[in-house]
Amino acid sequence: MNDNSGPAGRADMGERLSGDGVPGRHHAQPGGAVSDSWDVRDVATLETALAAAIRQADLDPQAERRAVAAFRAARAANPHRARTRRRDDWRVPEERRARRPVKTTFGVVVASLALGGVAVAAIDSVSSRSDRTGGDQGAARPSAAAPDRPGDAATSTSSGGSRPTGRPAPARDTEAHCRAYKQVQGHGRTLDAKAWQRLVAAAGGEDEVAAYCSEQLRRATAAPGKSAGTGKSGKGAAGTGNGTSDSKSGGTDKAADKGRASGQGGGKHS
Amino acid sequence: MGQVRQPRRVQARDGELGAAVARAQDGDEAAFTVAYRIVQPGLLGYLRGIVGDDAEDVASDAWLEIARDFGRFQGDGAGFRGWTATIARHRALDHLRRQRVRPRAGGTEQDVLDLPGPHSTHEQALESLSTERALELVRGLPRDQAEAVLLRVVIGLDGPAAARVLDKRPGAVRTAGHRGLKRLARQLGIGSEVDEGMTDVTDEDSRTLGKSR
Repeated sequence: MNDNSGPAGRADMGERLSGDGVPGRHHAQPGGAVSDSWDVRDVATLETALAAAIRQADLDPQAERRAVAAFRAARAANPHRARTRRRDDWRVPEERRARRPVKTTFGVVVASLALGGVAVAAIDSVSSRSDRTGGDQGAARPSAAAPDRPGDAATSTSSGGSRPTGRPAPARDTEAHCRAYKQVQGHGRTLDAKAWQRLVAAAGGEDEVAAYCSEQLRRATAAPGKSAGTGKSGKGAAGTGNGTSDSKSGGTDKAADKGRASGQGGGKHS
Repeated sequence: MGQVRQPRRVQARDGELGAAVARAQDGDEAAFTVAYRIVQPGLLGYLRGIVGDDAEDVASDAWLEIARDFGRFQGDGAGFRGWTATIARHRALDHLRRQRVRPRAGGTEQDVLDLPGPHSTHEQALESLSTERALELVRGLPRDQAEAVLLRVVIGLDGPAAARVLDKRPGAVRTAGHRGLKRLARQLGIGSEVDEGMTDVTDEDSRTLGKSR
């Protein structure tokens, strides 16, 4: 550094001082391009000098004691970990992706497809099937999905087959919304307005949605594996298998899983 | 070129900081103290660049909130820097709002500050850079440039993290940081070529932004 930039610096100074007091006059570039003399090493040197000068090395021990006391008091008042709001979540990968507009747009498309799928599935299972005559009537409610009926198994987001009692429909809605919310990387407002409102209501506030959803999804993915041996249906529920209402082919559980898998793929790509 | 890189020694402690934060979240008080000691120098420097002599008070307020919400935080050491910087910034902005009667002098002394220092080489200019002088120069910058420089250079945030703290696009923050550094360099008599037209536009921008905030 000393070898080169010293003399160069002096030359710059000479040029400056010999000028008429308008710095930068000689190299004005309307485009804002950086002139050649702005050396990368100069930047690094300047940054180091600034950091050294401005960072406060001498800390007030009393201020530290107050901070630690506040920490202790907070732990005593609330020993359990509080909910992480969006502004408290600084985990890296999500953040990075959330800041990329193209990916966000893609996520919105996926999310709207997923939500649309839920709506279609609900309409399909409630209205069209109840119009039908015959023994299907009993199974009209999605929550009453029978284990051996692939169509119904596909409509229910959770593993309806393995756990007949299941979670109530609203819970599964929430879960679906949470998945969609996760898809758009926490930018909840880009969700369908109704879905977002419902999610906010369920979470108890906009700030709480991220925490609420991670809790919901954690529970949703944890529960099926524990409750029954049908890990496959649990797996299906864990994916974005919401837009899969039309996979009615086949009559066995395996075929249902297949249908779900292909429906899932279609939902993602269309 | 144009990259505002953090000093290496700031980043180097991110691993240590992350570990301390994790232990503190399990209730380890000593670990919280470690995290405090790693974060506070940069935080205080940042606050001094924003609120001046009231930095200690604002930092105290910020730490009360940091301690209160500590259990909510999720992330690593670098994330903790960003999270605490966000809290400190909000407290600083509150503080500035409360004392709006006497707004800060930023931006009005440009002509005086633009004069190069009485040094003949880069090294002299930088070696003798005092805390007061550095803060004076940074506080003379438009707010967006000052904050971008402080967050990245003094606190050690990377571009995306600084952008999140400022709630702006990374590109805008990068540009602001770069312009701020160029301006500081010019004021210190190094990296002398600066585009005046560009600088004027920046001032205009930052004033508008400052108002809307």
